[in-house]
Amino acid sequence: MAAALRAVRRWGLVAAAPPGLAFTRSAFVVKKANYAQPNWLGVGLALWTSAALWALLIRQHNEDIMEYERRKQAKGRKCTRCS
Amino acid sequence: MAFLPDESRSLPPPPLLNKGSVWLGFVGWLSALADNAFNRRPILRAGVHRQILFTTVGYFVGYQLLKRAEYVHAKVDREMFEYMRHHPADFQPTGTW
Repeated sequence: MAAALRAVRRWGLVAAAPPGLAFTRSAFVVKKANYAQPNWLGVGLALWTSAALWALLIRQHNEDIMEYERRKQAKGRKCTRCS
Repeated sequence: MAFLPDESRSLPPPPLLNKGSVWLGFVGWLSALADNAFNRRPILRAGVHRQILFTTVGYFVGYQLLKRAEYVHAKVDREMFEYMRHHPADFQPTGTW
C-alpha cells in the first residue's frame, strides 16, 4: 500500500489515474480485475478489429498489385534504364 | 510530404509475407506477452484475443512502413542514377586516382 502511494506520488498521478498499468496501480482508483469471467465485449471488439484489419490489408495489397500492373501497362516499355 | 505519395503506387508492392510485417507483427505479439507478464497473467495462454490484435496491428503497420521505405529508397536511387547520367565523367571505370 505504501509502495503504491509512493509510486502514485512519483508518477505525479492524482485520483484520475487510468487503471491498467501494474506499477502505477493505487487501491483508490482501480478495481480488482475479474479474470474468472471473460470480458466478452473486449474479446469481441479485439477479434472483430483484427478481422477488419486483415481484410483491409489484403484488399489494399490486391489494389496495390492492380494499380502497379495498370501503370506498367500504361507506361509500356518507354524507359528500360531507370528502375 | 504525404506518407505514401501517388508515385509510390508505380512501384511493385511488397508481398503479403514481408520482413516489415513479420518483424512488427512479432513485436506486437511480444508486447501482448509483456502485457500479460506485467499484469501477472499466464504469459502464453492468457489474452489470446489481445495477442491476435497486437500481432495484426503490427503486421498492418509493418506493411505500410515497408511500402514507404521502398518508396524512399527508390526515390534516392532514381536521383542517384540521374546524377550519374548528368556527370558521366565522374563515373568512368578506369580513372586516374
